[in-house]
Amino acid sequence: MDFGSVLNALILGVSIASIWLIAALGLTIIYGAAGVINMAHGALIMLGAYSSYMLQHYIGVPYLLCIPASFVIVAIIGLVLERGLIQYLYDRPLDTLLATYGVSLVLVQGVRLIFGSDPKYLAVPEIFSSNISLGFANISTFRVVVIAVTALLVLALWILFYKTRFGIQVRAVMQNKEMAASFGINSSRIYMMTFALGAGLAGVAGSLFGVLNIVLPTMGDSYVVQAFLMVVAGGGTLAGTVIASGFTGELQSVFAFITNDTFARFVIFLLIVVFLRFRPQGLFAKGGVRR
Amino acid sequence: MAGLLEISHLCKSFDTIKVIDDFSLEVTEGTLCCLVGPNGAGKTTTMDLITGRIKPTSGKITFAGEDITGADEHAIARAGIGRKFQVPAVLRDLTVRENLSVAYSRQTNPFWNLCRFKVPGLEQKIDEISTLADLTHRLGEKAGILSHGETQWLEISMVLMQEPRLMLMDEPIAGMTEGEIEKTARIFKDLRKSTTLIVVEHDMGFVREIADVVTVMHMGTLLAQGSLQEIEADPRVRSVYLGEQEAA
Amino acid sequence: MNAKTSAKSVGTNSKTTMGNPYHNKTAQWIAYTLFFLALAAIPFNVDDDFLLNQLATYGVYGMLALSISLCWGFGGILNLGQGIAFGLGAYGMAMTMQMQTQTAENPVPPIMLNNGLDYLPFLWWPFQNTVSGLIFAVGIPTLFCAVFGRIMFKARVSGAFFAIMTLAMLSAFYTIILDQQAYTGGVNGITPPSPLQLGSFQIDPYSPAAYWTVFFALLIATVIAKLITQSSFGLVTQAIRDDAERVRFLGYSVSSYETTIYTISGLIAAVAGCLWVMVVQYVSPAQLDVGLSISMVIWAAIGGRMSLLWAIIGAFLIQGGQSYLGDAFLSTWLLILGGFFIIVVRFLPNGLASLVEAGLGMLARKPKETSFREPSGVKPVPSE
Repeated sequence: MDFGSVLNALILGVSIASIWLIAALGLTIIYGAAGVINMAHGALIMLGAYSSYMLQHYIGVPYLLCIPASFVIVAIIGLVLERGLIQYLYDRPLDTLLATYGVSLVLVQGVRLIFGSDPKYLAVPEIFSSNISLGFANISTFRVVVIAVTALLVLALWILFYKTRFGIQVRAVMQNKEMAASFGINSSRIYMMTFALGAGLAGVAGSLFGVLNIVLPTMGDSYVVQAFLMVVAGGGTLAGTVIASGFTGELQSVFAFITNDTFARFVIFLLIVVFLRFRPQGLFAKGGVRR
Repeated sequence: MAGLLEISHLCKSFDTIKVIDDFSLEVTEGTLCCLVGPNGAGKTTTMDLITGRIKPTSGKITFAGEDITGADEHAIARAGIGRKFQVPAVLRDLTVRENLSVAYSRQTNPFWNLCRFKVPGLEQKIDEISTLADLTHRLGEKAGILSHGETQWLEISMVLMQEPRLMLMDEPIAGMTEGEIEKTARIFKDLRKSTTLIVVEHDMGFVREIADVVTVMHMGTLLAQGSLQEIEADPRVRSVYLGEQEAA
Repeated sequence: MNAKTSAKSVGTNSKTTMGNPYHNKTAQWIAYTLFFLALAAIPFNVDDDFLLNQLATYGVYGMLALSISLCWGFGGILNLGQGIAFGLGAYGMAMTMQMQTQTAENPVPPIMLNNGLDYLPFLWWPFQNTVSGLIFAVGIPTLFCAVFGRIMFKARVSGAFFAIMTLAMLSAFYTIILDQQAYTGGVNGITPPSPLQLGSFQIDPYSPAAYWTVFFALLIATVIAKLITQSSFGLVTQAIRDDAERVRFLGYSVSSYETTIYTISGLIAAVAGCLWVMVVQYVSPAQLDVGLSISMVIWAAIGGRMSLLWAIIGAFLIQGGQSYLGDAFLSTWLLILGGFFIIVVRFLPNGLASLVEAGLGMLARKPKETSFREPSGVKPVPSE
């Protein structure tokens, strides 16, 4: 094999990693802060894509504006979801998992009833549909956009969680809800905000995935399990998810280069299960706390 | 006579903090040993180490001549050590009768238990223990609805159902009424005839009533050991433990 | 054997639970008997071969719901990857049936020839013989569950975490089966050209014979599962569901119990997979789809995961409703189902069964009930 194609595979790996990562960002926030396994995340991604589609198709909003707009729309949906259902289930992790799966069924079928099962397309500005060549490697411009948006979001989240008052409150609630409450932090409000934020991030992911792939009611389904593995392997922290996604993206790209894409995914799934068997707390979590 | 339980040079560190520091203890068969000490002395951690809930950093624990250092919880329980937790831990969704049945764990092999529908001797044993613990009228209730005192009794009963050679009781009388405490003392004294007990307790009146041997822990080490009179006369114990308690 | 245990429990229970027949073991067994008598009456009253075939598939779904109820309801182990056992069992059966139609002159199935493989791969060898094929079809998934369960439970992976791991495993199997076209037929799967041949007897999917096979499999699985829940093993399993940590200190190896219940549940699902292919003569990666595995959980949840019988009824109701409404209303149906599932999880953790339990409890509390009236519903549960 020649150097150029290896380099190409590595660059493609960054692109794959950014997709894994952006799909997992919202989940990380929600799982990390509230311990909720949100199976509706895929449906929220799908809603993000459909919001962008609607804005673009019916109102004619330019694509770049659709991305933040999707964030807002899906965040509001997430807010409603949290208030209406999730807030009653925080102490029942298995039930949240199941209930959010029910939510995802409802959302996917609801969208199918409204928009039908035929694919929709998101149009992007002309410059995004070209390719960029970087010496040996060749990558589509839009994938660079995805990488850039992902990097931007990670940076923003890092600032939010480690440099702002809100971030301190979230981390306080994560550590000890009762203790945080005694310092006057309203944990219920914190959970609500983080859930909305996580949902909004799914919306952004959706508006990007809608360009990479076609827009379908079921488009989010395939992301949930993968994204979840990133979160769990990363130990539910932001840095953990970033590194887990980076590793897996590169690994998948390299395996796909050696064998094929499907087989690469199989190997990745297996490796993650093996990894978690030996390190159930993930990459960056402290040792298990029992009782 | 060799001790039933021998702990030698036990150490346990969490990160860099030494919680148990070169702790040694020998418990003779047929005695009731009270483990006392101020909060944070490492009493419950010692219990955790004996029963395998946490693994020691170094040191050795022998039970009935067998090395049980770092063994799995269930293996240690099978070897004959029963434990009551500080915060009463019963199976809240099961009935009192079911709790007692599960605790009667002579047969622990899953495949054997798949084919067993009636456990010989269980009914008599439940009758006996529930009468002792005054739970006969509660047998059909879910354990989750019991009062705090009853829950304490249920967990003590579960340990009795296990028929262990060594019973570890972590604060058995917390939350009990005067009458209940007296009854517990009576039963413990009775049990001492047939088994060995280690009781962690703060209530010095209760300790005075039941203890053969008193072991005082402080900062993860053995401070003093002996009869209650000896302990009470020990100036170090006075300064560390009794003094502190009087002040509090 | 059971008569004795149940007689005992009637005495003890009636004192405390105000004689709710729902918790009465004798009443439970009677309800199970009535349920299976009703299922046995079906072939005598149904002339339509296609309907009978469809009812047989419901029986398979019922078995899957049963396996979930056993593992999740009683063992507290939420398994979102039951499709692994089901799918592997189904593939094993499909391979066996495919090999039955291959002859000495023509030993290699078309899926291989079409994918450029002109010999029978090693993986397929055990399935050349029907008996060994059936043994492997059930044995491989069961062995997988035993090994995977052992590894996971030994590492004390539990709860939602275990659920995620099963999902990951399921996705792994799904992708590999999809990928290895020459061995598995890829996305198209395997469609054995003729029905299962047992000796000189052929089980036509549209005949009562197929229905009866499924019926007896479901009956046997239910009786075994019910006995398990009433055994000492069942009691320990329920104790583990309640508080695994505590049970360890009573001397039970929690991971062995968890592995055993998970493996038995997988075994039932593997048999269900075999029967499914016998009834529909077809298998594809769709049998390992995440959606199907979660559907199994939904059946059990809506019927009542704590009750074997109600889990089966849940599968019947949901799958029955789905085919009754037809493809035209599929979206609406799934929408309603999703909504209903949310309501059940939020307000009725024990599903429809808890409504029946409450209803029977009210009946029993009324003055002077003739103490043995067992209406339709009953369930097994931590009653004794």
